[in-house]
Amino acid sequence: MKTEDFLVELEDILQREEPCNVNDALTDYEEWDSLSKMAVMAYYKKNFGVDINLNTLKEINTVDELIKLAGDKIID
Amino acid sequence: MSLSKFKHVKVSGISVVVPEKEINIYDEAEYYGGSVKKIDRMRKMVGFWKRRVSDKETTPADLAYDAAQNLIGEMNIDKKDIDALVFVVQQPDVVNPSTAYFLHDKLGLSQDCMATDINQGCVGWVFGLHMVSQMIESGAYKKVLLLNGDTPSVGIDPSNRNSAPIFGDGGCATLVEFSEEEIESCYNIDTISSGFEAIISPFSGTRFRMQLSDDKEWNLLHELVHEKLTMPTGMEVPLMGGYMDGIAVFDFTINIVPKNIRKIMDYVGLTPNDIGALCLHQANKQIIQAVGTGTGFDLEKVPYTAFENYGNNTMCSIPTTLACLDKEIKKDKLCCCGYGNGLIAISSILNLENTYISEIKTFKKPEYVLTRDEYINYWRKKITGEISRKEEK
Repeated sequence: MKTEDFLVELEDILQREEPCNVNDALTDYEEWDSLSKMAVMAYYKKNFGVDINLNTLKEINTVDELIKLAGDKIID
Repeated sequence: MSLSKFKHVKVSGISVVVPEKEINIYDEAEYYGGSVKKIDRMRKMVGFWKRRVSDKETTPADLAYDAAQNLIGEMNIDKKDIDALVFVVQQPDVVNPSTAYFLHDKLGLSQDCMATDINQGCVGWVFGLHMVSQMIESGAYKKVLLLNGDTPSVGIDPSNRNSAPIFGDGGCATLVEFSEEEIESCYNIDTISSGFEAIISPFSGTRFRMQLSDDKEWNLLHELVHEKLTMPTGMEVPLMGGYMDGIAVFDFTINIVPKNIRKIMDYVGLTPNDIGALCLHQANKQIIQAVGTGTGFDLEKVPYTAFENYGNNTMCSIPTTLACLDKEIKKDKLCCCGYGNGLIAISSILNLENTYISEIKTFKKPEYVLTRDEYINYWRKKITGEISRKEEK
């Protein structure tokens, strides 16, 4: 998946009305709550076969770091 | 042995009741800063919408009793033929004896009919069916009344947005019978007891005992009851309330539950295309869809209408889902899967093609239900001998 496509997907996962950008801080998003984190966990598992847990999501701060968790499943 | 198969057990009828009082999340905007946008987001992500809640006097047994009365009436069941009553409950009327005896008495079942409680939570309907199937397949019992009831909404602080919008209450009665004609049903159970503390009421039993005749103990209890703590999510909760590690539970549901379902489908040689519907415990929309996709089902076959309309009524949520299914859906191969406190996942392949599934009924409070004051006075009179057994009758 291309990064730009993932950013659109992320907007939907978080049910966010503003666009998402690579350099955004997730912690600045009002929508970055436990529901969104669970939605991201489910999305990564379903679409990338990648298991991530809450502790990992707690440690990341930016959209870019979230993208990196998908490894080569999200490309530029 | 996690897998089991039965060949002579028929689910003959199912009847569900829900309380009359409905709460709509759009009427609770005060808890979302008055923002309809926030509520819309919760509705879309988690499926929060409507739920049915009991008053404080109604117990799980009362809901189950009403469901049983409906089923017995609608199916014209001769009570003399019922030879076992199994009540699945996690909030019994009393700890001693089994609440099943109370239901046995109120329903007027025969002395030849055995009765017992089983303590299970969200898996309670499928788990109960599994236990009852063993009783029937063994040849010991021919006609078993399986009852379920739960009131998880009662006592939850409405400002607790982690729990309050999720839970609804309900009761269910299921008639399970021996069938001469072969009818196959299968079950698969995964017991992940390392997750025992993931969903728990830690102060609800004998692990936490107090001597309330001692004033110091009484004062300590008063302090503990009022103690509030902040969870890692930022949510403030009471120490003595129910505890749920939401993330651990979510992790369990997206990792263990789909495997549990796939294993039973492999066992019977079925694919999602062969199944009429995947009826999952209605935890919430997000979990239902994560399990559905994790199992390889088209989400059109994984309903969550019951959650949206009645809330997560724990062990009654699968029968509630069955009652909400479109009539066109073929029910000869349904996959029903419960998962929850234990942690446990139990999936089943059931043939409900010829099962009577009643429409969902509104709970009618039985005449025997007493207010709290009436209950206290009843026991005062009982202990002092002012009420004799004869008068009770």
